[in-house]
Amino acid sequence: MIAAVDTSALLELVWAAPLAVLTVTVAWGLVVRGTTGALEARRQGQGLAVGLNALVAIVGAALFLTAVVFGLIVMTTK
Amino acid sequence: MDSDIILVIVVATALAFDFTNGFHDTANSVATSISTRALAPRTAVTFAAILNFAGAFISIKVAATIASGIVDAEIVTTTVIFAGLIGAIFWNLVTWYFGLPSSSSHALIGGVVGAAFVAAGADAVKGAGLLEKVMVPALVAPIIAFVAAGSAILITYRMVGRLRPGPVNRGYRLGQIASLGLLSLSHGTNDAQKTMGIITLALIAHGNLGADAPPPTWVIVAAASAIALGTYSGGWRIIRTMGSRIIKMDPAQGFSAQTGGAAVLLTAAHLGFPLSTTHSITGAVLGAGAAKRVSAVRWGLAGNIFLAWVLTLPCAAFVGGATFGISRVFGDGALGPVLISASLLTLMAVVFGRRLQRGPALTTAVEG
Repeated sequence: MIAAVDTSALLELVWAAPLAVLTVTVAWGLVVRGTTGALEARRQGQGLAVGLNALVAIVGAALFLTAVVFGLIVMTTK
Repeated sequence: MDSDIILVIVVATALAFDFTNGFHDTANSVATSISTRALAPRTAVTFAAILNFAGAFISIKVAATIASGIVDAEIVTTTVIFAGLIGAIFWNLVTWYFGLPSSSSHALIGGVVGAAFVAAGADAVKGAGLLEKVMVPALVAPIIAFVAAGSAILITYRMVGRLRPGPVNRGYRLGQIASLGLLSLSHGTNDAQKTMGIITLALIAHGNLGADAPPPTWVIVAAASAIALGTYSGGWRIIRTMGSRIIKMDPAQGFSAQTGGAAVLLTAAHLGFPLSTTHSITGAVLGAGAAKRVSAVRWGLAGNIFLAWVLTLPCAAFVGGATFGISRVFGDGALGPVLISASLLTLMAVVFGRRLQRGPALTTAVEG
C-alpha cells in the first residue's frame, strides 16, 4: 500500500515547499525593508541611502513578482 | 424519464455542493486578511469571489475526477454520486456550524467512498488510493505549512523587527492582498473543477456526452458561479476561527500564514502532489502563531480542528452510505433521490429559518 504514495514527489515537497515559502518571505521582506528604509533616509536627506534602499526594494519586488508569475503558471498548466 | 430526473437532481446537488465549498472555504483565502485589516470583510469576500469565478476558467482538465483511483469506476452511478454529494454537503454544513475549517475535497471523497461501499461492498473501495489522496496529504500538508510559516515569521521579524511598525504593517497588509488573490484564483481553479468533473461525469453516464467530452460551457459557467456565490456569501464562522480565534495575528504573521500556505500549495501542485487548501492554511496559521509564542496558539481549538479532520472521511462516508442505502429502499428509480432531496431541503429551510429568526449571527460579516 505504501507503494501507492509517490515518495520521490513527497520528499521533494518536504524541501521545495519550505524553500518556496522562504524565498517569497525574503522577497517581500526586502520590499518592506527597502521601502521603509528609503522613506526614512529621504526624511533625513540621505541621498545615497535612499538609492540603496530603493534598490533593495526593487530587487525584492522583482523576486516576489517572479514567484507570483510562477504560481500563475503552475495554476494554468497543472 | 427516471434517469432524466436523477440527472437533474445530481446537477442541482453538485451545484449545491459547489456553493457550500465556496461558502465553507472562503476562510482559507480571506480570514487572515480580514483579521489584520488588510481588507474590509465585505471587500475581501467580494475580491475572493471574483477571483474564484475567474479561476474556474483557468483550467478545465477534469478528466481525472475527484474519486478516481479511490473507488471502482465501474460502480459509480448517478445515484452513488448523488449520495456522495449529500455526505459532503452534510459534513461541510456541520463543520461550518461549529466554525471548524475542514477539507471539502476530503468530505466529497468520503461521501463517494461511503456510497460506493454500500453499493458494491468493500472491494469497491481502493485502500491505496485513499492512502495516497487523503491520508498522506492530510498528514503532510499541515506539518510542512506549519514549519514553513513558522520559519517565515521568524525570518520576517529578523528582517523588519527593528523598523517603525506603521510602514511595516502597511507593507505586509499590501502583500496579503497579493497572496489573497493567488489563493482565491487557485481555489476557483481547483474546487470548481471538482463540480465540473462531477456534472460532466453524470452527463457522460446519462449519455448526453461522449466518453472523452470536455465539460460544456454551461457547466463551466454554472460551477464558476456557484463557487463564487458561495464565497461571496462568506462562511463567517470559519473566517472568525481562522482569522482570530486560533491566534491573534499581526500583519506580518497574516502575510506569513497566507503566503506560506499559498506557496506550499502551489509547490505541491507543481510537483503533482496536491494538498488540501484548508489543511495547508490552517497549518500555516498555527505555525505563524507558535513561532512567535507557543502559548499564543489556542491549542484546544486546534485540537478540535484536528478532530474534525480525522472525522471528515468517516462521517461523510457514513452519511453518503446511508443516503445511498435509503435511496435504494425506494428502488433504482428517481423516487429515492427525489424524496431525500425534498426532505433535506425542507429540513435545511426549517433549521436556517429558525436560526435566522434568533439573530443575524450566521449571515453577517465579522469585524476585524
